[in-house]
Parts: sequence; C-alpha cells; structure tokens
Amino acid sequence: MTRLKNWKMFCTLALLTGVAHAGTIEMKVYGLVCGFCAQGIEKTLRKNPATADVVVSLEDKLVAVATRDGADISDAELTRALTDSGYDVKGISRTQRSLEQIRAQLKQDKK
Amino acid sequence: MNLFRIAFAGSVLAGAGMLAQAKPIAFSHGTTVMAEYGAGTMTEAQVFYAPKYFLSLGGGYLELDSSIDHRRREIAYARVNYLAKRWNMEDAQANVFVWGGAGQAYVSELNEHQFAGNVGAQFDYETRRIYASLKTDLHRADAFSHRIDTLQLGVAPYKHDFDSLATWFVVQGRRIDGGIQEGTEWSLLLRLFKRGAWLEAGVTDEGKLQAMAMVNF
Repeated sequence: MTRLKNWKMFCTLALLTGVAHAGTIEMKVYGLVCGFCAQGIEKTLRKNPATADVVVSLEDKLVAVATRDGADISDAELTRALTDSGYDVKGISRTQRSLEQIRAQLKQDKK
Repeated sequence: MNLFRIAFAGSVLAGAGMLAQAKPIAFSHGTTVMAEYGAGTMTEAQVFYAPKYFLSLGGGYLELDSSIDHRRREIAYARVNYLAKRWNMEDAQANVFVWGGAGQAYVSELNEHQFAGNVGAQFDYETRRIYASLKTDLHRADAFSHRIDTLQLGVAPYKHDFDSLATWFVVQGRRIDGGIQEGTEWSLLLRLFKRGAWLEAGVTDEGKLQAMAMVNF
C-alpha cells in the first residue's frame, strides 16, 4: 500500500514537472548586441509550434527555448531559425534548467 | 507637406518613437516604420518590409529644404535594401548595407516633377557600449544631385539587455551637398529604445531640433 502511494506520488510529481518543464534548449549566439535588432529571434522562435517560451540575454549571449511537453526542435531547425534572423549559433545544449531558473539566474547575475 | 509634418509631430507626441540612423533591415518578416525630422533641412519617412533578414523592400518620402536659398525637393521613392555583409562577433556586430531605388521628385525652382534615382550604403559597428555608423545616400534627377553623408558615434552609459531600456548618447555629423546645406551640421542626440520602439532627439550646433522615431514589428 505504501509502495503504491509512493508510486502515485512519483507519477504526480513527474507529470507536474513535465508540464512545467518539458525541455530547455540553450544556444550560445554571436552578434547579440542590440535588443532592438534581436527581437526577430524571439519572434521567429515563438512561431514554432513546439515553442512554449523564449528567453534572450544579450549579456550571456544566450537564447533559451522551452519546448512544449512531448515536443522538440531539432538542432538544424534551431540553427536555421537563428541564421535566418541574421545571427550565428556557436553552440546548442539541452539542459535541465527551466526558463524560470534561467530568468532567476540572469536576474541574480545583474545584482 | 503640412499634413506630413502634423502626422510626424503626432507620432512623436504619441510616443511612437523618434529615430535616427538605424539599420534599413530589422529582421526577417519584420516591418520597419520610421520618420525623421532633420533640423528643418531634411524630413524623411520610410516603411520597409523584410522578407529575409538580408533584404527589405519598401518606400519613402524625403523632403530637402535648402538653408542657402529657396530650393526644395520632394522625393517619393521605392527602394530595395540589401545586407551585403554582416560580421557577428562574440561581443559586437558590424554590417554593410547597400540600397537602390527610384521615384519621382518635385523640383521647386522649375516647378516640375522629374524621375529620380537613389543609391546608398551604410557601414555600422556596435557593441553594447559603443556605436559607429557611416551612411551615404545619393538622390539624383536631371535638375539635381544631392548626397547626404551622415556619421554617428555613440556611447552607452550602461549595457542594456533584451528587455531593458537602452540609452545612448550620440554625436552626429551630417553634410548635404548640391546647394541644400553649407558645411557639416553637428548634433548631440539622446537615443532610447526598448524592444520594438526607438526614440531619438537632440539639437544641432545651431540649436535646431533633430529627431527620429522608429518602430519594428
């Protein structure tokens, strides 16, 4: 009975985590110096149906994308999206950080 | 022309943003609308749509009022802008833009309209703390040839980020030849932008208003 309860709790937590944080893709991007010009990146990425949220940081040369639950965006697709926006992708990594954690980290770094 | 001035002043008052010399292409599938009031000598408005990040198409209206005599040009043009080269560096970006177009110009001293051509180029380099650009814009018809050269050097007191307000102090030098302006006109400008809205305003060395507004969407 206890085992069943634990299993239910694990499934609930996994489900909640999955909804809140389906997946994060972090990209290092060169040429990110102007927020006015970089807004095309956000606009392009948000058009992708797999995108749940986007964070852009000029300070960290970072573009982070949270994907929807069960969805993914291939590296080739991401590179094309950034290149078509006029920027150069220098690295792509899939991480465990949620965009909320990234936002909090960026806020912390500014202090 | 009065209607244009009223519309321009209205957009400024509405906070649509004042612009100076920005990039002629914002981003892929983006539309750029801009208006500039250049110390009573030069007034310009442009609308461009970019199907690609390196290409934009659109049109503009340019009025040149001579500070030397009573010459006036009213030029309406269609134009293609092309990003010839971009350097994306870790903490900087540099661009070379070129453009060409054609339209119709009203020549006040002849009281007639003429076919007019337009070619130009811009080089810019920016980090999050410094900005430099050099632009040359040539408008030509049978009755006139005017080259507008604009140099801008800017410094930011702090590094802005994607969602924060950017503040720049910009020194601008501008020369318009062909009997429109004598010598180089210098301006001190305050530039502010956040996301898609850009405002820029300042005064020339003769105390005249220099202002620009731009929105990207």
